[in-house]
Amino acid sequence: MARSRRASRLSASRSDTSASTSPERGLDDDNDSLMLQANDSLSSLAPSVSLEYDEEAMRREIEERCRRSPISRLPAELMISIFSKLSSSGDLKNCMLVSKEWARNSVGLLWHRPQTNKWGGLKNVISTVRKVDGFFDYATLVKRLNLSALGNEVSDGTLQPLSLCKRVERLTLTGCTKLSDLSLTAMLKDNHSLLALDITGLESVTDKTMQILAENCVRLQGLNITNCKKITDESLEVVAQRCRHVKRLKFNGCSQLTDKSILAFAMNCRYLLEIDLHDCKLLEDESITTLIAEGPHLRELRLAHCHRLTDNAFIRLPNTTYDSLRILDLTDCIELQDWGIQKAVHAAPRLRNLVLAKCRNLTDRAVLAITHLGKNLHYIHLGHCSRITDAGVLALVKACNRIRYIDLACCSNLTDNSVKELAMLPKLKRIGLVKCGNITDRSILALAKPKMIPGHTVAVIPSALERVHLSYCTNLTLSGIHALLNNCPRLTHLSLTGVQAFLREDLVMFCREAPLEFNDHQRDVFCVFSGLGVTRLREHLNRSSRRMPSVDGETMYDETEEPEMNDVTHQANGMSMEEGEEFGEASEMMVEDEHQNF
Amino acid sequence: MSAATEQPKQTLTVTTNDNVDIVVEREILERSVLIKNMIGDVGEEQIDTAIPLPNVNEPVMKKVIEWCEHHRKDPPAPEGDDSDSRKKSTDIDEWDQKFMQVDQEMLFEIILAANYLDIKGLLDVGCKTVANMIKGKSPDEIRKTFNIQNDFTPEEEDQIRRENEWAEDR
Repeated sequence: MARSRRASRLSASRSDTSASTSPERGLDDDNDSLMLQANDSLSSLAPSVSLEYDEEAMRREIEERCRRSPISRLPAELMISIFSKLSSSGDLKNCMLVSKEWARNSVGLLWHRPQTNKWGGLKNVISTVRKVDGFFDYATLVKRLNLSALGNEVSDGTLQPLSLCKRVERLTLTGCTKLSDLSLTAMLKDNHSLLALDITGLESVTDKTMQILAENCVRLQGLNITNCKKITDESLEVVAQRCRHVKRLKFNGCSQLTDKSILAFAMNCRYLLEIDLHDCKLLEDESITTLIAEGPHLRELRLAHCHRLTDNAFIRLPNTTYDSLRILDLTDCIELQDWGIQKAVHAAPRLRNLVLAKCRNLTDRAVLAITHLGKNLHYIHLGHCSRITDAGVLALVKACNRIRYIDLACCSNLTDNSVKELAMLPKLKRIGLVKCGNITDRSILALAKPKMIPGHTVAVIPSALERVHLSYCTNLTLSGIHALLNNCPRLTHLSLTGVQAFLREDLVMFCREAPLEFNDHQRDVFCVFSGLGVTRLREHLNRSSRRMPSVDGETMYDETEEPEMNDVTHQANGMSMEEGEEFGEASEMMVEDEHQNF
Repeated sequence: MSAATEQPKQTLTVTTNDNVDIVVEREILERSVLIKNMIGDVGEEQIDTAIPLPNVNEPVMKKVIEWCEHHRKDPPAPEGDDSDSRKKSTDIDEWDQKFMQVDQEMLFEIILAANYLDIKGLLDVGCKTVANMIKGKSPDEIRKTFNIQNDFTPEEEDQIRRENEWAEDR
């Protein structure tokens, strides 16, 4: 690997250190550095400075330079701070072309994360990195590499030359399915800086790559091997033993893994924050118990479709609490019963997100246990827990009034009484009631009813509702939904698939397209309004109700109130734009919901 | 801290490197982490001795004090200040923009002083101001803006251009 570099190559060491993961840029330097830098830059300007060069003359020259060009007073670290404010790589490239000193101070920032999302750019990066006589040692400056935009076009031949970049800290190769051990082992060998590796979907990658990872990348903090079916317990055990600083693990779909490797991570990696074991179907109770019991920092535990999981995973936990645990996903852990949930909630009293979709054995007893989470609970998914009743939901709303998201799809026992209570949740943004066949317009009117500001008689709080899933609630009619639309200014998603009252030509035209994979019957009943579609549906219903006053006597507002409502709409739309990503964390689950809720 | 508001406003004296004494409210001066730590080090009793600032002259210090006065109630800068949004945004609030409308000599002196005195907010505004002067300019325009000499040979310039071709102008 040692290649002779042209002697005149400029040292990039300053920029180099600045571009490392350390945020410190020597801001505490005093003005000594001014002199240092001046000397330094001078020597690059005149490489043949002799030892007896008169110091006084040198100082005069620096002073003269600073007088002519005041910016040259700034030491390297301040120039780097300035360059770090530039977000466009084009601007950084132009800085590199200003002078040698500017080049030295900007090259590290520019090469920190080279643009590799297009072939043209990537080819240029590769050829520059390969050059034996480059102006800088570019390869050592690269800290982040992401080839996922080029996906399956990336071959071993593409990645191989980039293995010269031995200081890569984040390597993202999501979906680069052609890559194999050949280039990956080359890439990882002798890299002692790697912090995060994402090889999602690289199905031909085997234990070989994981072995090299374990041997070299001991600083590793994040590993995503989603759907890498050939990686086995054997190599992951070594990773767990060597890479002890691991914080985030994603092993989704690695259905070949067993307790053996997960136990190794649980026992060795004390800093574990998040682990996603979605679809690791062979996992059993022991590894899960150990993950919780031995991971004092564990914040997020995702176990969807771990079918072998039983109540014992939680029952066997030591009798103490794990306050760090905030997110627990037990989707489709079909063996779980009320007792297991009771123990889980007891052990993790600060859970914020709890996903129990398709845990079909659960009853109101589990829901009553969940009420102990109180205000901590923001997100609860109980879809397909079809045994629960109004009593459970009533207790839940009473105890956990900070719920923002609730899904009760297919909880077919629920009636309007549940939804009337749910409508009282002040922060509710998303509600899923797909196939809750008993509910009627009374539920929807309750959701639509403006909430008074406590202590006020007139002022109302605009509803926070953004997404409402009502597909296959076959009793619903227009009037309820019309009121909902006019009272929920932030509404951006409304699904009404299979609700007869909405399968009308004049309404369906505001729907979004049915997904491609849907068959004819599914298309016929598909009815989802989103984004602008919601606005248009609202306007359309308002127009037609004006033409025919009081459609069926249940419109909640007369015309006079409408302008005011529109104002609220505008205001609140503005707000929701600003708030943006508040729900970002849960977005992954949302996507799943979309599918269920059609 | 809260008690301080009820007491008469405490003042401190700083001596700049051109030997001028400036009397400033303590709360304002403590926007500088350097000075705050100095006070902590010498102890409350010796607080009436003037604090020497060997790296800042009077005109620059006056500007710095003006900024600190305007920003006296700002919340303290968050620890570990490397969040991407903060780092990359070059938005500057209107008052700060006006404040930074000074000649280059003064602009870079303010940046140096903010760095020396450890006033994160001021340093940040200074760096953003310079970054905005660079944005969208060609190398030659940048050189003209800051009066920088091009010390590349045409071959070297061409080489760097080729090696960094991937960096697109956007």
